[in-house]
Amino acid sequence: MDITFNEEQEMLRKSASDFLIAECPKTKSRELEEDEKGYSPEIWRKMAGLGWMGLAIPEEYEGMGMTFQDLTVLLEEMGKNVLPGPFSCTVIGGAFAILEAGTEEQKKEFLPKIANGELILTTALLEPGGAYYEASGVNLKATAQGDNFVLNGTKVFVEMANVADYLICATRTKDGSADEDGISLFIVDAKAKGISVEVMPTIAFDKLCEVRFENVSIPTENMLGERNKGWPVVQKVMQKGAIAKCAESVGGMQASVDMTVAYCKDRVQYDRPIGAFQALQHIMADMWIVTQTSKYLVYQAAWMESVGQPCAMEVAMAKAYVNEYYKWVTERTVSLHGGIGTSREHDAGLYYRRAKAADVAFGDTDFQRELVAQKIGLIS
Amino acid sequence: MDFKLTDEQVNLRKAFFNVCEGLAKKRPVGFTGLEGCYDTDEGWAYHLDCAKVFAKKGWLSLGWPEEYGGQGTIMDKVFLSEATGYYDVPGVDIFGVDMLAPTLHAAASDDIKREYLPSIASGERMWCELWSEPNAGSDLAALSTSAVRQGDDYVINGQKIWSTGAHRAHWAFALVRTDPHADRKQKGITFLLFDMKTPGIVVNPILYMDGGHLYNEVFLDDVRVPVKNVVGEENQGWGVTQTLASFERSNLGAIMGMHRQLEELVNYCNETKVKGEPLAKNPLIRNRLAHVACDLWSAHALAYKIADAQSKNEMAAFDASAVKVFSGELQARMAQLGTEILGPYGQIKHSKWSVFEGFFEKWYQQSFILNVAMGTNEIQRNIIGWYGLGLPRMK
Repeated sequence: MDITFNEEQEMLRKSASDFLIAECPKTKSRELEEDEKGYSPEIWRKMAGLGWMGLAIPEEYEGMGMTFQDLTVLLEEMGKNVLPGPFSCTVIGGAFAILEAGTEEQKKEFLPKIANGELILTTALLEPGGAYYEASGVNLKATAQGDNFVLNGTKVFVEMANVADYLICATRTKDGSADEDGISLFIVDAKAKGISVEVMPTIAFDKLCEVRFENVSIPTENMLGERNKGWPVVQKVMQKGAIAKCAESVGGMQASVDMTVAYCKDRVQYDRPIGAFQALQHIMADMWIVTQTSKYLVYQAAWMESVGQPCAMEVAMAKAYVNEYYKWVTERTVSLHGGIGTSREHDAGLYYRRAKAADVAFGDTDFQRELVAQKIGLIS
Repeated sequence: MDFKLTDEQVNLRKAFFNVCEGLAKKRPVGFTGLEGCYDTDEGWAYHLDCAKVFAKKGWLSLGWPEEYGGQGTIMDKVFLSEATGYYDVPGVDIFGVDMLAPTLHAAASDDIKREYLPSIASGERMWCELWSEPNAGSDLAALSTSAVRQGDDYVINGQKIWSTGAHRAHWAFALVRTDPHADRKQKGITFLLFDMKTPGIVVNPILYMDGGHLYNEVFLDDVRVPVKNVVGEENQGWGVTQTLASFERSNLGAIMGMHRQLEELVNYCNETKVKGEPLAKNPLIRNRLAHVACDLWSAHALAYKIADAQSKNEMAAFDASAVKVFSGELQARMAQLGTEILGPYGQIKHSKWSVFEGFFEKWYQQSFILNVAMGTNEIQRNIIGWYGLGLPRMK
């Protein structure tokens, strides 16, 4: 047992932090919220130069061959500094899905380009009518026609589809079977004929999109993984995605605590810093406590995932836990800042809004708790 | 970063769990927690018996230097506390083994160590702590029990309160005021050891809300204690108490206890039908148990971090405050949830009608002990605010 980050990870954390503070100050984060693309191609190129997109991609595919745990260190810093853009949907939803289920050819085609920052990928999973993370929610039809499959239907909450080069799309390729059976994944060229994309206005302005498929013809060779057996791949990617989201969230929690403490030391009322009032001190102590508990729960899940230990329960726990406490910490952050905390120009709201966005990504608290209920042995 | 135990640690932990599982089978019906140790003769005898079993294996001196008969590491002690916590098995005197021994290692002379450590390691001498006073609780340094030097003795007069197990303990470690004129209240305090049979000591029970005898008030009336029983230096006792930072503070014992409680609740919900359906199928119950499980695992992850940091000598006091606050308050919520799942039976004491021997009825009340003792959780939050976050103290 050694529950500290190693030297390499600390260096990665430091360089990520330095880079993000310099390249993406909060004014930039807010600017990107209002930007049509939702990310900065310039920052993206520099990130690629640092090797970030390929951090956890094996060296044989031009990545750096580092671990998933290393990647979460980077994600934590991104959450702390609020970096809008397609990093996690490309790396987690794209690269890991291909690593998990892709053919050697697919890996050779996509992974080096992802590692070099040439491609943006995203996952198209949820659909209108509930938009929930279960197999029964996947109904977009893919029908075999000669060497192609033809896709018809609509996906929603597809992150950064407005700028994506490829969508990894979950489709239904077989009817009348169990929910988990009959799902197939395709790597879909986002510019293919018949695809239309519309950005959904969201609380974090994070470019979640509706993507409509009208007779979109996809070559069969673009199928990712086995026909009708795509759901376990989705689950594995979702598990990584949930941890990634948690890592970003604990970064945001720490930033919120730091911001609140600094403000309360500085802000003077009744002739003293408001941080001298115990009514506020105890709130900040609690904010710090749940940030600590959140971190180590997430670090443990990330470690388990990284070394390949089964961790479905730990991940569901981490997600459920962090969902609630990220929202709570950021709500307290806004409150302790008073009026200024509620303003568009202040950073408190950046995190408060992201906590809500993080909550629903990869399954909300009730969804995760149901998984936990099963894993702790409650019969269903 | 990794959370992996070595094979050696896995095996040792397993050995601890096996022994505790065996000891748990001998536990008196209804026995639980500290109240279990001190309330009844039966519980006290069980506590002493378990101590003897641990002592024989050298488990009461884990992490001590070898020259004092120690073996293993502080991490091993953490694993033992996981096992005793999971099975709710006593035998490790929280005052002697957990608090006093590390203090003696850090602050006492060789003579004192040689005189007092062996009977802690052998489980023969049980201790109590005489610190709090009626007007010195959270503000402990305000204590006023006086010790006046007369020849080779101190003569002690005053009153102590909330003295857990003082009616059972063989010896006490006390804080007394030896210099009433010091310029700061933290100065002039001395850390003393004495036999609870010394003439002039009167112990009166303060019954807990459930009627159990855990706490006492202790009157000290011209109690004579040899000067050689001072730990550290005269008037430097406050500094000695601060060495308690080396007291194992992961709270993993309490956390493992909650793991068992959760398992029992899950089994209960799987087996108990209400309106023809197992309780386990009730979505509200599923959600609430899962909620507590998430909190419990988070406490566990942080506790391992604390233990790891402590074993590397890198733990700050406020780090440990975090896990104390969170796990103590979680135990209170767990007990509330337990009573709520049991419905009307949640209020039943151990009897022919009770579920889990009235465990949750008991802990619905006992859980305050975790949140009030050893620095209330409000004090812990002050510590986090002042020392962890650097917030200003109100003058």
